[in-house]
Amino acid sequence: MCESLALILLLSRQSGITRNGVLTVWISENTARLRLVAQIAAALVALAGCGHYRTDRSPGTIQVDIETSPASTDPRFATDATSSRINELIFDSLVKTDRNGQFVGHLADRIERPSPTEIVFHLKHGVRFSDGRELTARDIIFTYDSIRAPESMSAKRAGLEELKSIDAPDDYTVVMTTAHPYAPALELATEGIVPAGTPLPSKGTAAAPVGSGPFQMVGYARDEAAWLERNPYSSYPPGAPRSILLKIVPDPTVRALELAEGVCDFSGNNIEYDVLPWLGSHRFLEVSRTPGTTYKYLSFNFRDPRLRDLRVRRAIAYAIDRNTIVNTILRGTGRVATGMLSPENWAYEGNVTTYSYDLSKARQLLDQAGYAAGSNGMRGLRFEYKTTPEGARLGEVFQAMLQRVGIELTIRTLDFATYYADIQAGSFNLTSLQWVGINDPNSYYMVFDSQKTPPHGQNRGYYSNPAMDRLVESGMSTVDPAARKKIYGQVQQLAAEELPYVSLWWVDNVAVMNRRLVGFDAYPNGSFRSLAAVTLSGPGGGGEPSD
Amino acid sequence: MINYLVRRLLALVPVTLGVATLTFAIIHLVPGDPVVAMLGETAAPADIVGMRHQLGLDRPLLVQYAAYLGGLAVGDLGESISYRKPVSRLVAERFPATIELAAAGMLVALLLAFPLGIIAGSNPGGAGDLGAMGFAIVGISIPHIYLGPLLMILFSLDLRWLPLTGRGGLLHLVLPAVTLGTALAAILARMLRQSLIRVRESDYMRTALSKGLSARAALVRHGLKNALTSVVTIIGLQMGGLLSGTLITEIIFSWPGIGRLLISAIGARDYPVVEGCVLTFAMTYVIVNMATDFIYAIVDPRVRIS
Repeated sequence: MCESLALILLLSRQSGITRNGVLTVWISENTARLRLVAQIAAALVALAGCGHYRTDRSPGTIQVDIETSPASTDPRFATDATSSRINELIFDSLVKTDRNGQFVGHLADRIERPSPTEIVFHLKHGVRFSDGRELTARDIIFTYDSIRAPESMSAKRAGLEELKSIDAPDDYTVVMTTAHPYAPALELATEGIVPAGTPLPSKGTAAAPVGSGPFQMVGYARDEAAWLERNPYSSYPPGAPRSILLKIVPDPTVRALELAEGVCDFSGNNIEYDVLPWLGSHRFLEVSRTPGTTYKYLSFNFRDPRLRDLRVRRAIAYAIDRNTIVNTILRGTGRVATGMLSPENWAYEGNVTTYSYDLSKARQLLDQAGYAAGSNGMRGLRFEYKTTPEGARLGEVFQAMLQRVGIELTIRTLDFATYYADIQAGSFNLTSLQWVGINDPNSYYMVFDSQKTPPHGQNRGYYSNPAMDRLVESGMSTVDPAARKKIYGQVQQLAAEELPYVSLWWVDNVAVMNRRLVGFDAYPNGSFRSLAAVTLSGPGGGGEPSD
Repeated sequence: MINYLVRRLLALVPVTLGVATLTFAIIHLVPGDPVVAMLGETAAPADIVGMRHQLGLDRPLLVQYAAYLGGLAVGDLGESISYRKPVSRLVAERFPATIELAAAGMLVALLLAFPLGIIAGSNPGGAGDLGAMGFAIVGISIPHIYLGPLLMILFSLDLRWLPLTGRGGLLHLVLPAVTLGTALAAILARMLRQSLIRVRESDYMRTALSKGLSARAALVRHGLKNALTSVVTIIGLQMGGLLSGTLITEIIFSWPGIGRLLISAIGARDYPVVEGCVLTFAMTYVIVNMATDFIYAIVDPRVRIS
């Protein structure tokens, strides 16, 4: 830096600009002042280290860049992906999902299911919140009651409608009773637990309640950062990070630059595909790609009579070259999907109807549907594809691909809030969205049951098929796992046949991390959970291990 | 002078009313529901209705508008839907960061524009002119969203002189300020060049030369001051561009200012925050232009404020 400054001054003195311009007069009259300015600049540079800028990072701290602020720091209200990932580090739940999307005990040491409507959770002893209080069944009852209370207006209230009652026979036993035999009942047991008496978020409160997870939130500035420190009552391995700075960096290019500069240690599923090879070329960075469960799909609006025609939907499915898109735009970070459930899910059925890229089949189906090609090759089929600015590129690819079979796609790019409002209102022909964090196959009920159109559910395309309704409703009430798996096999085949969605791809989990993070275990659902268990290598490594 | 000031301050009232009305109308008329954005798609319909009632969003638009204006009259900007804090508090928390960035951007613009404009205007058609105006064209053409990362790559990644993002000490301010100020520097440099060329041909310059001053000294001592009047006007007018530039610059550099607050509020359809931020931007613009008029009078003694 000092050399560069000297070089700049030398060059300016020798240049024709200073010799010939009016600046020469000014410079000659103000040499002393200039010298002072140069000295001040040099002093400032010296203050900054007169070398390379260094970031302040206390030992044992890792920085994780996230794209948006969490919608809520209270687990009773958080429904967005960012909140869920952060909350997993702070709060424990009765059960959690394993790598295959199956529920396993978390706060619960043992789980019993004495009847199709009853689940008994036997709690671990000695679990403590970060303020030192022991977590007991009372805290669990309180958490659920506060979500279910009408005054909470929590978005999670609707998800707990099946829960008829929750009781605590003693401090270490919780009994959940559902209104009907409810197969995905363990999903009800995934709420993060807060201590009894924790008030509902009120005006101006920003900090998260205390939890019993590996970390506690010690500071939060919306749109800036959240600071997590170890829960003093939670054990962690030697060399594991003592604290995590979750920095909110909205610009994807800047997130990549922060990784490349070594400021950021970890960025999960928020780096643009195009920069992955560049980041991978840095020796101190590791780009990890693991199969993910996020499901990308193309959705049809069944209120449009043209799209109610199965031949048109199938023609569109045949006309989209998903392999090419995955290999080019996604740079290979995805797998062509056969349905909503990925192969990692226990209920996955891969033996379903598929639609490999076939233009002649697509044209044939459109001919059969009565949409003959005109002299210009177009068939008078014009659809509106709604998307967000981030999705416009994919829309253009669909547009070009569908044009090859004579379908015209008009792309309307909207800001997310407007787009979301339109999709919910059913104001679209085609759109592409993704489902994140699918665990239980009961998700099919929420998106394909004919009763689950907005605002009651997420069947935004208004798909209606009595056979599908019967299957998804039966899947919801069948508790036996083997029988359930069979039902969802039929659901997946029917969905592949009927095409309420064209399955596009399952998005890989792409994590870019500094190699000083050792032992990160990527979960298919993109969870941050294993950040609590990584260890730090090299200088400025992890903190002191706890007992 | 005082009468003029009072008149200008009174003119703020219709401007405020106009901005408030337009912002209110636009943000309420675009699709999107703040309650759905807040509670999520999975919320029970009854809870969505309840929350809408709690926030007063189920009232007729005119009633909401009247309530908004009523609040505004007593300095109450309302309460944020998503932050659950008074908007005035949110704006007060973020505004210093934006002003700091805008002021630094203006400083960079002036520091770049003056030498470039003088070099270009003192010898039109020369090498200095071509170089300076080449910079001006590049400066105007490069959008913030491209310039910011370019500067980051050069000064943070390669040279490691400056931090990438965030708000901290002086060093944190350099890259965002250069990103923000470059386009304005280019505009001002072009403006100053034109003014200098114009004043070189004026009578008083000829008088100065005939009195024995050298061409360079005449330009620096007499020409520059006269050329400044039009530049000062442009500085005031460009303040709007500078403030709107903070929106993108704050996103790029993770700068915790009002621009970033506004962008996130638009996404969440947080009506009171959007209204509060836009109003703040508009008021800042108007006040800066008022200040410009006063500075104009100082720079050019022919102008009298009355």
